[in-house]
Amino acid sequence: MEEAYIIKGYRTAVGKAPRGFFRFKRPDELAAETIEYMISNIEGFDKKTIDDIIVGNAMPEAEQGLNVGRLISLMGLKIDDVPGVTVNRYCASGLETIALASAKIKSGMADCVIAGGVESMSFIPMGGYKPVPGYNTVSNGNEDYYWGMGLTAEEVAKEYKINREDQDIFAFNSHQKALSAIENKKFDSQIAPINVEEIYLDENSIKKTRNHTHTRDEGPRKDTSIEALSKLRPVFSNTGSVTAGNSSQMSDGAAFVMVASESYIKTHNIEPIARLINYSVAGLPPKIMGVGPIKAIPKVLDKTNLKISDIQLIELNEAFASQSLAVINELNLNNDIINVNGGAISLGHPLGCTGAKLTVQLINEMKNRKLRYGMVTMCVGTGQGAAGIYEIL
Amino acid sequence: MNKKISKVAVLGSGIMGSGIACHFANIGVEVLLLDISPNEINDIEKNKGLKITDKVVRNRIVNEMFNKCIKSRPSPIYDKSFINRISLGNFEDDMHLIKDYDWVIEVVVERLDIKKLIFEKVDKHRSNGTLVSSNTSGIPIKMMNEGRSDDFQKHFSITHFFNPPRYLNLFEVVPGPNCKDEVIDFLMNYGEKFLGKTSVLAKDTPAFIGNRIGTFGIQSLFHLVKDGSFSVEEVDKLTGTAIGRPKSATFRTADVVGLDTLCHVSNGIYENCPEDESREVFKLPDFLERMLKENMLGSKSKQGFYKKIVDKNGKSQILSLDLKTFEYKEQKKVNFDTLNQARKAKNRADKFKILISGNDRASDFYKEVFAKMFAYVQNRVPEISDNIASIDSALKAGFGWEEGPFEIWNYIGVKEGVDLMKSFNLKASKWIEEIISKDINSFYKSNNGFIEFYDKTSENFVKKPGQENFIVLKNLDKDQTIWKNDECKINNIGDGILNIEFNSKLNSINQNILQGLNKGIEIAEEKYHGIVIGNEGQHFSAGADLSMIFLMAIEQEYDELNFAMKLFQDTMMKLRYSTIPVVAAPHGYTLGGGCELCLHCDKILAYSETYIGLVEVGVGLIPGGGGTKEMALRASDQFKKNDVELNLLQEYFLNIGMGKTSTSGHEGFGLNYLMKNKDLIIMSKKNQISHAKKIALQMHDNGYTKPIQRNDIKVLGQQALGAFYVGADSMLVGGYISDHDKKIAKKIANVLAGGNLSQSTLVSEQYLLDLEREAFLSLCGERKTLERIQFMLKNGKPLRN
Repeated sequence: MEEAYIIKGYRTAVGKAPRGFFRFKRPDELAAETIEYMISNIEGFDKKTIDDIIVGNAMPEAEQGLNVGRLISLMGLKIDDVPGVTVNRYCASGLETIALASAKIKSGMADCVIAGGVESMSFIPMGGYKPVPGYNTVSNGNEDYYWGMGLTAEEVAKEYKINREDQDIFAFNSHQKALSAIENKKFDSQIAPINVEEIYLDENSIKKTRNHTHTRDEGPRKDTSIEALSKLRPVFSNTGSVTAGNSSQMSDGAAFVMVASESYIKTHNIEPIARLINYSVAGLPPKIMGVGPIKAIPKVLDKTNLKISDIQLIELNEAFASQSLAVINELNLNNDIINVNGGAISLGHPLGCTGAKLTVQLINEMKNRKLRYGMVTMCVGTGQGAAGIYEIL
Repeated sequence: MNKKISKVAVLGSGIMGSGIACHFANIGVEVLLLDISPNEINDIEKNKGLKITDKVVRNRIVNEMFNKCIKSRPSPIYDKSFINRISLGNFEDDMHLIKDYDWVIEVVVERLDIKKLIFEKVDKHRSNGTLVSSNTSGIPIKMMNEGRSDDFQKHFSITHFFNPPRYLNLFEVVPGPNCKDEVIDFLMNYGEKFLGKTSVLAKDTPAFIGNRIGTFGIQSLFHLVKDGSFSVEEVDKLTGTAIGRPKSATFRTADVVGLDTLCHVSNGIYENCPEDESREVFKLPDFLERMLKENMLGSKSKQGFYKKIVDKNGKSQILSLDLKTFEYKEQKKVNFDTLNQARKAKNRADKFKILISGNDRASDFYKEVFAKMFAYVQNRVPEISDNIASIDSALKAGFGWEEGPFEIWNYIGVKEGVDLMKSFNLKASKWIEEIISKDINSFYKSNNGFIEFYDKTSENFVKKPGQENFIVLKNLDKDQTIWKNDECKINNIGDGILNIEFNSKLNSINQNILQGLNKGIEIAEEKYHGIVIGNEGQHFSAGADLSMIFLMAIEQEYDELNFAMKLFQDTMMKLRYSTIPVVAAPHGYTLGGGCELCLHCDKILAYSETYIGLVEVGVGLIPGGGGTKEMALRASDQFKKNDVELNLLQEYFLNIGMGKTSTSGHEGFGLNYLMKNKDLIIMSKKNQISHAKKIALQMHDNGYTKPIQRNDIKVLGQQALGAFYVGADSMLVGGYISDHDKKIAKKIANVLAGGNLSQSTLVSEQYLLDLEREAFLSLCGERKTLERIQFMLKNGKPLRN
């Protein structure tokens, strides 16, 4: 069996949605330009050798619709030869695509695949434009299949007894870690600079154009404090503890990696960076989707014969502080190796992009720290969890 | 003068200035609101790196004042989007803009020197012919005119609004000595027709009409009770709704207005009216001086004549001030025999006669209060106004009295009033003696549908001006009522148009009203051209009569209940599908069944202060008189090809599900109870019935054909049901609604979706009406719904269970 290696990976800076710096940038363009940047950084690369582009996206409609994966291939590569596909496993989409690429290569179906994800929450609202729950399903008492994620976060807080104060402290720490990472230029080498061209009317209704390039995450807030966070009102429940401050931010962003087979890297004389050792997804009641990693992590460890203590760095997606804390407490995870450079509460959570974005962050940080095993894990809507284990080469 | 007002500049952005700016924006005028610019930059601005020359710093004061006003409740603005009609600026940078404005209103601080500086600038920048007015409540026009140009003086007057300008209806117009008559005529008309106010022509005397008499009324009560002979709550009981004044009566009103403001006005009158025979009344009694000193100013200092406290159990309680001991104590229940007797009075005149003929303390109180009031107002003619009607109008519009002082005196009788005065050693003035000597025992009389008042100048009865333009139902001649029962009248208002008038409690819709509506349509279809549904009650209609529904539901008489609801629905449908046009003229509360009635009329002419909504959820029901059906129909009519129809329908679902009610007529459009291109808003309540009549007539003249019932209403079936069920469930889980609310929401969803049809389907109105009635009846069998209805009947507010 072939081995599959990650040979390159970039992410964009993450913009805030719906009023951040990428609100003028279509998601297909954002993804295409990220891929273009990645390829320009591989010397002498022949685009025609790519077998497929797999794009993760959680709300594949409107500007993200019509099989945006294929469109991104055309726009980013500027040749017709490489096909494209769109994959949706909500917040795990960007990790799922890397797993699919790796599996295809291992099984001999492909030699070189670009995998990752993109999401513009500025363009497409959470839930899409027309969510239509099934009448028969909900009449049978399964309304929770369609609950908003915030309600599930409240349910997790209740069931796993996560209090408001701990959630706010967790959120505050996320911002502090992210600010420090940015300050220390931890992300600089992994970010593909994206130019935004904005055509607008000024206050006198004169048409103007301005260009700006973004290389720095927009989410982290210097001005936040535990006191400020503690004053926010719950947004999903009248009596709850989940606030805008201790939930992940709505965001725009893209991230992609290139995955190639052993024979491919030998032929082209490319150094591999890492490999996805294994990846698991698991199902659980939709009401408590937030604790999905509790099931997915043991499952993936089991397949790899690794123990949790072997994992040296973890990116646990901070969908909500309540679910992150529940997962950490329940699996007794080591806080010091989790989200060392901040997480979705501070850096943002561009749904379908997140899995790939966390992969890029994890690999870079592990290389810096010279570590071997790391994990990306997240909860996934409608009662799922996902976890993937990487090895740095 | 054929002037059009499209741009108004308001100078000064305090509570009054900002409020006036909002009210002009309410009626669609483009407004410029200016105030002074600050002398120096503050810390926040410094931290932001701003300079003193930056626009946001220059406009800081006006920005802050205006924002404060916009956030105040009740809202000064009809609809949030109207705020865009107001632009903000400052005197130094923006005064030159007024050259393009039609009217400049000055509302700066009450200091002559400052006002003169402002007027100098206005004079410099205004174009000839621009109206200029001051909202001063005390500075003589002559002084403000000094140094001003001819053209300025010819167009300068006082236009005195009352706070809050949106809600208080008195608009006093005081001509300057050199002001052109046509300017005053224009302003008087503009106030009524455009601003929706009661315009009253006043003279340039201290505090004009409203505040002069109003303050006298309050001050004389203060003096009457200063020895502690009546408690605070007793006075408020006696001077509130018992005599047709606002519930806040005397002391509560004083608390709301603020004692400092009240005393400021009193002191002003005391100083500026040395000739006033009752001048001493305006001097503050000792207890008032003490309250000022001890910062007991009313609501603003959290204590005044009343004080709200929270006891040990967390229950709040309102204590009243004991004027003898100066301590706050628990309020005592007030009970007077005279009030009990007065409640039984057949009409207003009887009521006032009973109030002054009892033998208890209450009656003694009224005798003295009325005697002093009559004595005072008789001497104010012609000092503050030449006619008594203006004085009455001012008190009614500015202080919310149901009757002005002369109207009360009229009820009691002119001679009887004089006798009352004499018993307190008060003298009747010469002109009153003359009336009596002529054997005239009234100030007012009705003649040919018009009100006439006794005019002191001509010594004769003259028609109250302005009546030609409007229809006052209570002044109609008896023979104009062509049919009536105990709670509903059908009036012939001329030119082939009938009016259907409700007189039930809160004008709720019951069997009598439904009978009247059916009868009205029957008569009109036979002999008339159209119908106007409108009344002069405090509210258009608070909804269907719940007591009737409750009785049938509790007795489980479901067949009768079904029959009653069917009659309601059929009546509503008849309003829509008759051979004559039907125009609704709602005002105030237009809730539940009242709203449903309007939804079924051919046109709505709503008063600007109309609070319309389908609020049935509050009593555990759904709109069952065609309201839910109508919302499904309206949503369907808005569906466009390739639209996501579900999202649009959701707005209607939320309207009913949350019982959303507009806070103004204009907001009714946003909630889809009123429809653009069909329904209209009118500012002047007095003109409402007559304009509705004109509309009905015009629809008839244009050729009115009975509409055809609809059978092309697109309902979404399961697609909508699934989405709404999840929405309701999420609200429940989030703790925003109760289980019972969820149950009701699902019933609403079922009607709006047209049931659980597999796909979108075109249905008829009757199909939806049947679904609606079925849901209504099923809820009537729910214990929690009955609890809600019972609670509402008992307490007048909704129960959440």
